Amino acid sequence: MKSHFSALAAIYLLLFSSIALAHHGWFWTTGGNIELTGEITSVRLGNPHGRLEVDVNGEIWTIEVGQPWRNKEAGLKDGDLAEGVEIRVIGEPAEDASEKRLKVERLYLGEGEYVLYPDRD
Amino acid sequence: MESLFIAMESTAIAEYLRISRWGYAAVNTAHILGIALLVGPILSFNLHILGLWRNIPRIILARVLLPVATTGLVLAVTAGSLLFSVRALEYSGIVFFQIKILLVVLGTLSALQLHRTYGLSLEGATEPRLKLHAILSTLCWLGALVCGRLIAFVE
Repeated sequence: MKSHFSALAAIYLLLFSSIALAHHGWFWTTGGNIELTGEITSVRLGNPHGRLEVDVNGEIWTIEVGQPWRNKEAGLKDGDLAEGVEIRVIGEPAEDASEKRLKVERLYLGEGEYVLYPDRD
Repeated sequence: MESLFIAMESTAIAEYLRISRWGYAAVNTAHILGIALLVGPILSFNLHILGLWRNIPRIILARVLLPVATTGLVLAVTAGSLLFSVRALEYSGIVFFQIKILLVVLGTLSALQLHRTYGLSLEGATEPRLKLHAILSTLCWLGALVCGRLIAFVE
């Protein structure tokens, strides 16, 4: 019976480790920052994390911002991140460059700077 | 179906959980507690069926583990439904979420069916029938656990 159990455990370890993990935390990103500027085309805020779509010179990027508490601590108010708003973001893009997805460390709306992750870079 | 998911997303509790920091964290924690109370006892009971701890009578284990697992299931489903309601439309489209729900339903139905037929201690069930159930049940619940965790990593 012990061999049964080991076999099951092995199957699940294999299953778990062979699937590419993405999007949680920072390990799906490159580790280096880039900067993008564009117009917000859609907004989905709230737990577990907020997400914008931004038109960057005709390319639609998925821009991951913080949970509500993080956005608020950065100084963002309700309605700041809205469709049609011009936004500049600095953060880490997905390692898979075809993904057009970026996790924000700081962002700029007009003259205002909003730092979501003060401890990074 | 889609209109149901949209209705779930617009309930007051979903809207609260979408913006609340500690409320959302608390429901997350309750979900994990439910899973712990559910999967631990089921795996222990299955391992007993598969031959571990032979000197402990099954009925003794069943008396403890079955109510704990049932409590865990109720808690996990309740908290899970709340978490789902925060982004119902989005989660419903994630393949790992769909597989997870299927496995939870299969695992639950198979346990209900087995205990309905053979009672709490499963007396009268043949060994091959029990062993098959224990293996399938283990696969269902570990599979549901893995798929559930993966939802956070793919969406």
